Amino acid sequence: MLSVLLWIPFIGAVVLIVLPGLQDSRRAQWVALLLATFAFAWTIFLGFQFDFSATGSQFQERLSWLETLGLQYQVGVDGLSYPLVVLNNLLTCVAIYGSDPDKERPRFYYSLLLLLNFGVVGAFLSENLLLFFLFYEIELIPLYFLIAIWGGARRGYAATKFLIYTAVSGIAILGSFLGLVWLSGAESFALQRDLAETLTLTQQLILLGGLLLGFGIKIPLVPLHTWLPDAHVEASTPVSVLLAGVLLKLGTYGLLRFGLGLFPEAWSVLAPYLATWAVVSVLYGALTAIAQTDMKKMVAYSSVGHMGYILLAAAANTPLSLVAVIVQMISHGLISALLFLLVGVVYTKTGTRDLTVLRGLLNPERGLPLIGSLMVVGVMASAGIPGMVGFISEFLVFRSSLPVFPVQTLLCMIGTGLTAVYFLLLVNRAFFGRLITRSDGKVVTLAPVIWRERSPAILLAILIVVFGLQPNWLVDWTRATIADFSGSPAVLAQRTTLPEADLARAITLH
Amino acid sequence: MLETPTARHPSTAYIERILSGKTLLPDTPENTLEVVGILKSYGVVIGAYSKNLLYIAEHQFLELFPFFKYFNGKTSLSALLRHWFHDRINYEYAEYCMKVMLWHGGGGLDSYLDSGEFKLLARKAIDAKIRNNPLIRSLNQVFPDFLPEQIRQFVYYSVLGQFWDVMSELFLTLADRYEQGKITSIPDVVAHIKAGLVAAAGNPITYSVDIGGQSYDLIPKSAGLIFISDAAVPYVEAIFFRGTPFPGTVSYNAQAQQISPDPGRFAYGALYADPLPVGGAGIPPTLLMQDMRHYLPESLHRLYQNTTRKEADLLIKICESFQKSMFCVTNAAILGLMPHDLETTDPKEQKVNQHYLEGWMDRLRTSQLETVQTNSLQ
Amino acid sequence: MNDILLQTGWWVPCYGLLGALLTLPWSMGLVKRTGPRPAAYFNMFMTLVAFIHGTLLFRATWHHEPVELVLHWLSIADLDLTLNVELSSATVGSMELVTGLSILAQLFALGYMEKDWALARFYALMGFFEAAISGLAISNSLFLTYAFLEMLTLSTYLLVGFWYAQPLVVTAARDAFLTKRVGDILLLMGVVTLSALAGSLDFPDLYDWTETAQLSPLVANLLGLALIAGPIGKCAQFPLHLWLDEAMEGPNPASILRNSVVVSAGAYVLIQLQPILNLAPVALMTLVGIGMITAVGESFVAIAQVDIKRAFSHSTSAYLGLVFIAVGMQWTNFALLLLFAHAIAKSLLFMSVGSIVLTTNSQDLTEYGGLWSRMPVTTSAFVVGSLSLVGLLPLGCFWAFERGLDIFWYDQPLLSAIILLVNGLSVISLTRIFRLVFLGPPQPKTRRSPEVPWTMAVPMVSLIIVTLLSPLLMHNLGLLPNWEYINKSAGITLIASGLMGLIIGGTLELQKSKSRSIKKPIRVVQDMLSYDFYIDRLYGFTIVFLVSSLSRFMVWFDRYIVDGAVNAVGFASVFGGESLKYSASGQSQFYVLTILIGVSVLGLLLTWTLW
Repeated sequence: MLSVLLWIPFIGAVVLIVLPGLQDSRRAQWVALLLATFAFAWTIFLGFQFDFSATGSQFQERLSWLETLGLQYQVGVDGLSYPLVVLNNLLTCVAIYGSDPDKERPRFYYSLLLLLNFGVVGAFLSENLLLFFLFYEIELIPLYFLIAIWGGARRGYAATKFLIYTAVSGIAILGSFLGLVWLSGAESFALQRDLAETLTLTQQLILLGGLLLGFGIKIPLVPLHTWLPDAHVEASTPVSVLLAGVLLKLGTYGLLRFGLGLFPEAWSVLAPYLATWAVVSVLYGALTAIAQTDMKKMVAYSSVGHMGYILLAAAANTPLSLVAVIVQMISHGLISALLFLLVGVVYTKTGTRDLTVLRGLLNPERGLPLIGSLMVVGVMASAGIPGMVGFISEFLVFRSSLPVFPVQTLLCMIGTGLTAVYFLLLVNRAFFGRLITRSDGKVVTLAPVIWRERSPAILLAILIVVFGLQPNWLVDWTRATIADFSGSPAVLAQRTTLPEADLARAITLH
Repeated sequence: MLETPTARHPSTAYIERILSGKTLLPDTPENTLEVVGILKSYGVVIGAYSKNLLYIAEHQFLELFPFFKYFNGKTSLSALLRHWFHDRINYEYAEYCMKVMLWHGGGGLDSYLDSGEFKLLARKAIDAKIRNNPLIRSLNQVFPDFLPEQIRQFVYYSVLGQFWDVMSELFLTLADRYEQGKITSIPDVVAHIKAGLVAAAGNPITYSVDIGGQSYDLIPKSAGLIFISDAAVPYVEAIFFRGTPFPGTVSYNAQAQQISPDPGRFAYGALYADPLPVGGAGIPPTLLMQDMRHYLPESLHRLYQNTTRKEADLLIKICESFQKSMFCVTNAAILGLMPHDLETTDPKEQKVNQHYLEGWMDRLRTSQLETVQTNSLQ
Repeated sequence: MNDILLQTGWWVPCYGLLGALLTLPWSMGLVKRTGPRPAAYFNMFMTLVAFIHGTLLFRATWHHEPVELVLHWLSIADLDLTLNVELSSATVGSMELVTGLSILAQLFALGYMEKDWALARFYALMGFFEAAISGLAISNSLFLTYAFLEMLTLSTYLLVGFWYAQPLVVTAARDAFLTKRVGDILLLMGVVTLSALAGSLDFPDLYDWTETAQLSPLVANLLGLALIAGPIGKCAQFPLHLWLDEAMEGPNPASILRNSVVVSAGAYVLIQLQPILNLAPVALMTLVGIGMITAVGESFVAIAQVDIKRAFSHSTSAYLGLVFIAVGMQWTNFALLLLFAHAIAKSLLFMSVGSIVLTTNSQDLTEYGGLWSRMPVTTSAFVVGSLSLVGLLPLGCFWAFERGLDIFWYDQPLLSAIILLVNGLSVISLTRIFRLVFLGPPQPKTRRSPEVPWTMAVPMVSLIIVTLLSPLLMHNLGLLPNWEYINKSAGITLIASGLMGLIIGGTLELQKSKSRSIKKPIRVVQDMLSYDFYIDRLYGFTIVFLVSSLSRFMVWFDRYIVDGAVNAVGFASVFGGESLKYSASGQSQFYVLTILIGVSVLGLLLTWTLW
């Protein structure tokens, strides 16, 4: 059942390369879209059979593979990974549908998109450390090519930088995994919660450090983030959508599943530092975004900031905060995907993303009015305006982290305020005022926006509002899993309400 | 294309162009098609406006709640539903133009409205109208200028209606003659409009209303108001030149001082307005462009379909064509009002002519005249 | 019947939202061939439905125990977020005020905005606006209240930004949003902290919690300050007051609501928070202090304005300053009374202003004159609104001021003096405006000024009647004191202060041009007041400068230090000492291969030793 999710994209990727008659770009796109939609539909189908009360993983499948290596094909899904799989498959459809229908080398392109989907889904489903690592590495190859071949002017630089960073990330993770299995004397790489129980705290700290470095690059956390703006700026829109929407989530997912999940003791030691690190990331991302003049770079830095919230909530490590982590992951996935889509449309139409050039795009006749309206929705969601999913996710993050790390949480909230600043500057500069589309202050008539460009953005905007009004549809999947997660020794600090004395002390100390 | 002006006046090139019988708008087949096409739909629209303005002036006189003022007396359920669905001509724009004219004033009409004669006539009409309405009667006693000011507004309803009636006819015959092949160039268009203006120049402007079966004069023929000086010229001044600042582009903030305290120095009219914001918020001419989109001749519509955005930016394209056509109308007005014959050889007369044209060009310096020289549909 | 009415009470705010949704086909530009007016009619219809439902609801709640409707919206672990509304005659009455004013403002807009093609978007925003404020009125949970406040911030931004192509609107909308957002973020900090401390955000639970809460003074005061920050921004109080002045760039019908019920919404929240604020004496003192500064400062600033809308917006800030004083001194009844009276009078004044601006195409006080004899409704609206706004005749605000004086008369002479001063200054300001606009000879922009059409006149007349009846209304609601309990000396002093203002305002030398005084000291004061004490420049030098230079530094730091260092140090080895340059590299394919081979070899090696 579950493996179908892996087989569809994999076979699809092969078919697109091998099968003749798909040279035509549009036909290749339709085939890829069909397969991706099928994968998405299958995910939803599995969702209907998903047991909300089950704590452990479901739909488990297991095949022995390289037993000597301890590598088994072990997949399963739980409340932590299922929402992310849905997000990934949804955004893959969006990315394929939103791709330029006249793409060069279409067969290779769509094949890579499906391969990327394969890698990411595989990583989310893996229940074996080595298998996870394999998928984690697989995913970076198609992404590298997607940036390096179909990217912008400096694509070579960006792709290489991405590759090197992610490779280092992979090495660090692999090192930790190997170390863990070696030190614990486990017989295989199968994911078991008590793997690290016998390890000393120092050993745990070292291994967790490796994971933090590895996943920290992927998330990315400051100062390991500089590959991200470059990759985003050079990547084409669909790739940016996937990159921001799901690929970054591999980092936070890994941190949660393997970092917190396997090394709870070490995690609680490091948690205060992680929370502070989150503050640095949030404020750094927000402040850097303010001064950006490239819209895409601004959105990219905003991503850096918003991923910081996830680290904050993960560090807090309470039942509530872990739900907040999931909700924030999905919320950020939807919102950043929407923003990248919209920036992409602006770029295709005007040929620039420069905020010092663009003006007045809300013009209903010659501008991009609907794109502008959706942009307002997107930035407001990102700034945490109620009624949209960004609000409830941030509220949960703050509410759950405050009792544990009051000062860090309050500082992170300043980041939310700054988000409003830079995104408002973006909207006011590029969309308000008299229409200007060229650096000499002139207006060229922009090509009309077609439904292929609008509809994915509209879909995402609707989802953002729907989940904003009804977050239960997001939370219900994870409730049981998280309860179990935190019922385990993973959660040491279970403070739920804030002891006032602590807050007072914390405030006076800082 | 425009030669570099060398002589003493910055717009010498345009002046020479007019003196040599050419037009302000470059003479190209595309321009001719655009101007004639847009004037045709404009003719239809202002024909409807004019009918409605005259209807309101005559049949909704001093009505406090003119709920059905846009129905021209023909109310039916289907008309009401269409009205509610906003599937109709935007008569609000006609009223807007009327109010702008009233506000800017000018011409003999304006001074007539301040004369004792008008006040007397107005009082008679008011007395007849509110005879049975004690509430309004007492209100009128406390606020003595309330109803006379309303009547001044009705006068402008009527005057603008009469003006547009003539213009509508003029533009529609222009389109007919174009289709018959009698009009082939911009100079032909200008000549046609000029001839029409000259022919109507001396038409009297009058206004009377029927109250209780009796007719009350508000502008008697004896007031001596005529088409050209009391309707056309004030109209050009108020609508083409001055206009009112659009809230969508100009700030009314007194501290920002974006709007001149002297209405005479306003330059927000049809010849100056920027077509780009049309269709957006706070741009009243959008209503006119929207009305015209329904009556575009097929040839012009095809031309518009040939552009990058096709139907999507129709309103801006209509506005651009409309601005071109308004320069043709202005051109015709300039020629029609020339103090001396264009081909005069008398140096004194030539000097007067030159001076007259310089006056026009001074006002047009900040207008969109430069833009329409090169602007083509994209 | 009553039960059904009460159970469906929460529908009332939803009507506005539904109306806003119904406008989408027009506001999104999907309907191109016909005009946007159906959107306006839908919205007005929905507002009418909301008003009627509200009226029935009000009758049902009258002499009835408050009804609480609770929806458990989201509960995770220990967090239980509820959407909780309370239907009592007070909350439903406030909601009625909102929907009532909303319907009048929308009818007014039908005339005022008749030549605006973006009518649908305007009405969508008005519906959204109305939903947020009427929701706020019945909200019984701080969480829900916060959500509505943010909706208000958003819709204010969009309404001020309605004419988005106009340059000053661009900055005005931005400033309105960011200023309010500063307050909102601090409020959010307070809300989150409160949620963690008290475990619930429902007001009843919070009130219970305050009874027993043992907070250190520091935490309590910081919490209190955070909670009042939101209302400070919403109510345009010093130092977050500049946005209201700038927001006057927006369409006038929205200003009607903004200056009456929107600013009141902030104060309403403050009143709801009051029991919690009692834990924080510093916050209460701050409220009084801010209220005093704003009330006095803005009253003076209002007199120095040349823009008619701005003169009134500053007066709004001043009145809300008095409300802040009232809440700070824990006299919520006085606060509510003033809010109610001010909201009605200010709406009426803004309608009058709208019709003046539309008729004369000007907002400049120096360009007006002689309008009274031609515009009966506008003139009456102005006069009635003005009289109702000050303590001179026994209309709305007289009773509110009287109540305030009654309270502060013996113990707080300073606050009494401030009320009298604000009253006197308001009379001066209103008299000055009245003389400039309505009296004197007509000027070029006012010489042809026919009265506005019925769509604008009807709301004005209706509101004139409501304003004149408001003392009666207040009496029926039991808000007015009995005759024998009235502090007569306070009342007489109040009227005296009003008369004094009338005399000064009536004899004040009026500027009929934009010239400034030749006398330097006068000119300095005049400029300082008309530019609002140059607070905007203060912002520019401080917070704006700080954020922008910090962000520019961060970009530099990111580009050269972080990126540079990581590139140079981290990968020096990979490239044999050759650092990564900002140029497209042709050898990237080769690098990929190297990396992949490296990773796999490393992996194999490690696993080999293991097994």
